[in-house]
Order: sequence, then C-alpha cells, then structure tokens
Amino acid sequence: MNDLLTIWKALFTYTIAPLEISGKLIAGLFNSFTSALWSLPGWLLRFFWFNFKPLMQVLLLPGLAFILLFAIIVVWFERKFLARAMLKVGPYYCGKRSGWLQLIADFLKLFLKEIIIPYDAHKILFLLMPVMLPTIPALAVILIPFDQNWVLFNAGSLSLPMFIAIAGLAPLIPIFSGWAANNKYTIIGSFRTAYLYISAEIPLVICAAATAIMAGSFNLVEIVEAQANLWFAVPQFIGFVIFFLGLIIESERTPFDIPTAEVELVMGWRTEFSGILFGFTMMAEYVGFLAWSLLFITLYLGGFNGPNVLGLPLYSHVFWLLLKLAVLVPIVIIIRGIFPRLRMDQMLRLGWYYLTPLAVLNLFIVLTLKLLGVFP
Amino acid sequence: MPEGVEETFVEAVRAAHPDFIESVEVLRPRRVSLVGKREEFLGLAKALKDEFGFTHPVSAGAVDYLKENRMRMNYYLMNPSSRFMLILGIDLPRDDLTLPSMTQVWEAMSFHERETREMFGISFEDHPNPISLLLPPDWKGGYPLRKDFEGEETQP
Amino acid sequence: MSEPKIEPDLMRVSWGPQHPMSGQTRILLDIDGEIVHRLTADLGFTHRGIEKILENRTFLQGIIPIERMVMVDTANIGLGYVLAIEEALGVEPPERADWIRSMICEFYRINSHLYAFGLQVEATAYFPAVFLWTTIDREIILDLQEQLTGARWSYNFFMPGGVHADIPEGFQDKVLEGVEYLRGRFKQYWGAMVENAIFEMRNEGVAVLRKEDAIRLGATGPVLRGSGVDMDVRKDDPYAAYGDLDFKVVTEAEGDAMARLKVRFHEIEQSLDIIEQVANEIPGGPVRTRIPLFLRIKPTEVLSRVETARGELGIHMFTDGGMNPYRVQINSPSLRNMYVFERLAELDEILLADVPVVINSIDPWYLDSDR
Repeated sequence: MNDLLTIWKALFTYTIAPLEISGKLIAGLFNSFTSALWSLPGWLLRFFWFNFKPLMQVLLLPGLAFILLFAIIVVWFERKFLARAMLKVGPYYCGKRSGWLQLIADFLKLFLKEIIIPYDAHKILFLLMPVMLPTIPALAVILIPFDQNWVLFNAGSLSLPMFIAIAGLAPLIPIFSGWAANNKYTIIGSFRTAYLYISAEIPLVICAAATAIMAGSFNLVEIVEAQANLWFAVPQFIGFVIFFLGLIIESERTPFDIPTAEVELVMGWRTEFSGILFGFTMMAEYVGFLAWSLLFITLYLGGFNGPNVLGLPLYSHVFWLLLKLAVLVPIVIIIRGIFPRLRMDQMLRLGWYYLTPLAVLNLFIVLTLKLLGVFP
Repeated sequence: MPEGVEETFVEAVRAAHPDFIESVEVLRPRRVSLVGKREEFLGLAKALKDEFGFTHPVSAGAVDYLKENRMRMNYYLMNPSSRFMLILGIDLPRDDLTLPSMTQVWEAMSFHERETREMFGISFEDHPNPISLLLPPDWKGGYPLRKDFEGEETQP
Repeated sequence: MSEPKIEPDLMRVSWGPQHPMSGQTRILLDIDGEIVHRLTADLGFTHRGIEKILENRTFLQGIIPIERMVMVDTANIGLGYVLAIEEALGVEPPERADWIRSMICEFYRINSHLYAFGLQVEATAYFPAVFLWTTIDREIILDLQEQLTGARWSYNFFMPGGVHADIPEGFQDKVLEGVEYLRGRFKQYWGAMVENAIFEMRNEGVAVLRKEDAIRLGATGPVLRGSGVDMDVRKDDPYAAYGDLDFKVVTEAEGDAMARLKVRFHEIEQSLDIIEQVANEIPGGPVRTRIPLFLRIKPTEVLSRVETARGELGIHMFTDGGMNPYRVQINSPSLRNMYVFERLAELDEILLADVPVVINSIDPWYLDSDR
C-alpha cells in the first residue's frame, strides 16, 4: 500500500504538480501582465517625463515640433484670415473648404522642385545661407521660459543679452545670400536689409534693457516673475508700442517688408532661391516672428503669468503663454491687410527720428520710477 | 472764341516772316496748317515758339509721296493759352532727306524724330540721341514706312 | 537699342520685361543706392506697325487693327479713326448716334481709370487684392457694354455715319443702376485707400511735375491736368455730343502722384455724370446714315483729335482716292507721356521705391506708345 502511495505521490510531484505550478505561474504572469498593461500609460508617462524631460521639451514644446507647427499653422491662418480681409477666400480646394491640406501640398511641392543655382553665384554661401536662416531664430526661441523650470536653455542672468545677440545675427544671412546670388536685385535687397535692421535694433535693445532694469535682472524667468502683479506694458507704455513696431520690423512683415518688396525687387534677396531653399526662407520669416513675439510677450505682457487653470500650475502657465501668443498673432497679421508698404527713407526716418528718442525717453521714465521706489 | 482769329494769326505770321513760309491754310476753327521753306526752318520754328506762343509740342510725323518724289515732315504744335493747333509742315526732296532737328526748340520732339528717322530715313542734324526707338538695334531691313519698302515674309 | 553709357559709380538695373510690375517694356534705371539718377525707356517691345497695317486695309477694315492699340480704352481710339473717315467723307452722323458714342466713350474712360487706379494702389504694395476689386467693378461696365454692343471690349460699334445698332429696351434703367453702384464703390475706395496714412506718404510729393515743365515737355491727359493745366480735347475741340453735355474739366495743382490719382478719380465721377445725362436726355432719331459699302475718298488730309483716358490721340489721315488710306499718322498719348517720364529723374528726386508708383501714376500703355 505504501508503494502505491509513493508511486502516486511521485506521479503527482513530477507530472501534475509541475503542470499545476506552471499553470499557476502562467496565470500569475498573465494577471500581472494585464494589470501592468492598464497602468502602462501612466507609468510610461511618468517614466519618460521624469527621466527624459529635456528630450521631450526639445522635441515637443517649445522645441522642434512647436516651431514647425507654428510656422505651418500660422501660414495657413494668415492665408485664410488675410484673404477674408481682402474679400477673398484663401486656400479652398485642398482639404474641404478650409484648405489645410494646401500646406502639405505646398511643402511637398517645394521639396520636389529643382534647386537652380545661378551662374557665377558663390555656391557654398548660396546653399548654406537658407539653411542657417531658420535655425538662428529657432536658437533664440529656446531661451524663452514657458514656466519657472521649463526653459530649454536656462542661461540664468545672461538670457536676455543672449537673445539680443542671437537676433543680431539674423540680418547677416540676407546680406550674405543677396551677395552670393550674383544678381542686382538681390544685392539691392541686401542693402535694404542692412538699413532696416540697423535702424530697428537700437530702439529695441534700449526698450529691452528698460524692462530688465525695471525687473532688476536680465534673467527672463525673473523678468516674468516681476510681472506677477502688473504687466510691464502699463508703466512702460511707450516701450510697449516701440517694441510692437520693432517686432513687425524685425520679422520683415508688411508694412516693413522693404527688403523683399515684390513690386520693385522681385522678392529682393530671396529672388534666386528655388525649391526647398525658398521653403527655408519662408519658414524663417515665421520662426523669426515666433521668436520676437515670444520675447514681446515675456517682456511686456507678463510671459507665462496667469491665474491657475484647473489647479494645474505647470500646464496653466504654458496655456497662458500660448493664449497670449494666439491673441498677438492675428493682430500682427491683420496689420498686413491695412497698410501699404513704407519707403526706405521713410522707414529710416521712423527709426532714427521717432523710435530712438522715444526709446531713450522710455528708459528715463523707467529709471525715474525705479529711483522713486515705485517698482522695487 | 471770336471769329476771325485764325485769319488774324495767318496775317500776323505772313507779315512777320514772309520769306519763310510757303503756304498757310485754315483747316478748321483753331487749326492752321503752315508749310515752311527749307531755308530758315529753324528760325521759323523759334519764332513760332517765342513770338506766337506755340510752346506745347504734340507730335511729329512724316508722309512719303513717292510719285511726287518728296516727303513731307509734319510737326503738330499747340498754343496752351489760346488752344490753337498748328500743323507745321516742310517738304523734303527724296534724295536729300536732312533737316535741322526741332529738339533745339521743343525738347519733346526727341522721341518722334527718332521714330521718323528709323521709319523713313530722314536724318535730323543735332539730335541729341539719334538711336532707334521702336525697331531693334540690329535692324537691317530698310525703312518700313516708305512706300517702296519690301517686307520679308515670315516663315510659315 | 544701343544703350547710353553708364556713368561711373552708378549701377544699372534693368526694370526689364521680366519683372512683376514693369509691363511690356524695359526701363533702365541708373541708381546709386536708392536714388535714381537717370531713367531711360527702351520702347518697342510691342511694336506691330499699325500705321503700315492701316495702309493695307480698307477704311472699314482699318477699324479693327486700330482698336487694338489700347485694350482697356478701345472706344475712344476707334472713335478717333471713325471721326477722321467721317470728316474726309463729309458725312455727319445723326444726333442720337453722337450721344450713344459719348456714353460708350465715357464708360471706357471709367474702365481705363479703374485699371490705372488698381495698378497704382498695387504699386505701393497695398495688397494686390485691390486690383481685383477694381476688376470686379469693371465687370459691371463690361456687362453693360455687352448688352449694348454684343462684345466685351473690342466691338467695332462705331461706323462712319453713326453706330451699328440702337440702345435696347430697358437699357437706360440698367445704366442708372450701374452708375449708382459705382458711385457707392468710389466712396469706399476713397476712404479706404486714398485717405490711408501710409498711402498718402507714398504718393504725396513724389515726382512733382510743375506746370511749366508739363507744358514744355508735352505731357497730356491726367498727367497734364494733374499739374494744373486744364487742356481737354472734349472742351477745346468738341466732338461727338460733348458740345451739348455739361461736365467740368478736372485739374489739380500740385503735380505729384497723388494729384494725378485724384484727377483720375474725379474724372470717373464726371464720367458718371455724363452717362447719367445721356441716359436721361438722349434724343430720338435714327442712329446711322448710309455710306457706300466700297468707300473711296477723294485726295484730302484730315486731322481728328479725341481725348482718350491717357491723353489726346490725334489721327492725321491722308487719302488719295483709293480704297485704303494713303497714310495714317497716329499721335499717341503714351509716347508723349513716356518722354515726360524719362525727364522726371532730372526734375525731381526719385527713389527706387518710387519707380512703380511713378510709372503707374503716369499710366502709359506700352502698346499705345509702340503702336
């Protein structure tokens, strides 16, 4: 009898039991797998966000995806919005009356077109300049704070001077590319770019310095925090207006798009670019617009400040910054539909006779307010 | 406009410069046609501008009378204060097509004289810029508006 | 054309045939930075030899090529040729035909001035849609013309002896409706564009042509009237029904680009008044007197002058008894204005950015100056 029991125990131990145990193991693995599956997104998000946050920021917001999407969406918005102002319709056929597929169509067309290099042009500069053109304002975008800790490159107290320095590189590219194309129209466009930027940068820098004085630091995060109670647009109203004009001038939009005046210069310094090089120059205009708009909002309109939305301080700051951007962009676009273009000498007169003295006046007002202790 | 003004003008011109004029004719109210002699044509033109007030140049053109072996060059002038129109003509024999240029008197005749030179072959002395106006710079086909001009057929 | 020499230190830019705003011509600009030191017009790109063509066509066949001189203004030019034939024949058209001719010519003057206005606004880069708005307004006029004559622009409606056909039923009401609509549009244009601050900056004081220079250089049309000289062939040498109609000759005193634009604007308003008068007061009667089908005109010479939208057009016709005219000398207004344009660089300081504004304020039509 004991032998039968032993044989039964042996059989159980070596055949059925392993099956049972393995069955339990398999069932247990399956259970944990399904439970892990339901909790995977949150886990994944937490994993990536807290371990790879800088990468996410660079890729998504405010990095590559944000800049490209801004350029594309604002192009579409401008075409539709401005078309309604001109009693036209805008892109209509690609994409069911809103024309959003038109952008993809245009982008593909630009990619697929042939790149023509003019005879006797300086090949290296001609091919290199448009590539550098959108990257310079994009470099400036990374300095803008989207929240106290959400800055791609936190340069500390050098962030505002660094922005101005990077933006100062921007006019060099049109000048080089206009010369490199070996064409009289482009060289005239280069001359005009030089005049334009010289007359516009000085008032802008003075006004930016005035905001930094009022905040007490050059760090953009601290400038935004100093506007927690009152936006700088209110005491520095003159600087607000000058910087708004400077924003339009620096991004070369009408009424100041003198270097690329089509009626005279056949697209100015952009004349000889074709294909994707032209696509870069078009994109650069909007990336520059983005960079200067963000700086304008940061310096004068309170940056990312705003009441908390849904109790999420991190995301509500981003939301407020994007909301202010979404209000500013249509205003600048509609200005294009109201005014003709200025002439070069009228632009220079505006910059040197009016904007520069007013910027200095603004600086004196800020210094006075600071010395009187109104803004500690 | 009072009647007879044209006759007054005709008499005044005849009285002032009898030697320079070949014939005068009143075409319509305020329109007179004057044909001058080749000698002193420049003097006549200057007199018309300075004394009679024809300061507004209108146009200039030529006509080729092949059968009579002459060409007529017409200048159209206008007096801005009295709105008088004058057609000043001059006959040129076809083998001696030279004429002092009227750009010395009315500057705006420059374009019209350039066109007449390239279309008819009349050469204007002292013209400041005697290059072709409408025809290409390498045109070798002759003078198009002459009556004996043979055009080339274009290839089908 | 062999080009004049460039002075040292100047750059020659060819505002050439391949250019967004140059039209069918080439203009050489000698510039030093932004200042234009010399303008040279290189005409002849559209020379078709219309004067020679007319010598090889019969009198009636010649109406068709000559209308192709200016496409936005064909009625006035065709009328010039037809008036020359009538005067050579000694035929007077009936009165109703004269009034119809005046109405069509005034419609065409509005057409041409709208086109020029759209181009001048576009030259200051005030978004190109303005040119499309003026094109839409021209559609009203072209629709009315189509109802009257059967064609939209070149319709050979004027015959020596009268016009082809009478006004259809109900046409006068449509004309008055069209006139009301256009008057409303011009108020909008004036407010939105002419009184725009930057538009005034771009146009006032640009290329001032003084009165003495305008007369001396042979300007004509709105260029002359914008400098304060009130010469208008419709008043000086009346033809068609202009002797009976009541209108003013519009002049402005300043002589800059803005003055020329305002002259065109007010001329449109005067044209609308004339059209209203014609629609309300046109006399009855026949519209045509018969002329022989195979015309031969005895040897004579005839000069007829009309006021087109761009200036005074003269047609000096020489006949010799044959079926074709012996010679037709066309005194084109745009050729005279192009000479004025060349001299503007010496008279007033022009910047490179002003060149499209100046060209469009002078409003040459290159097919007209080249013939």
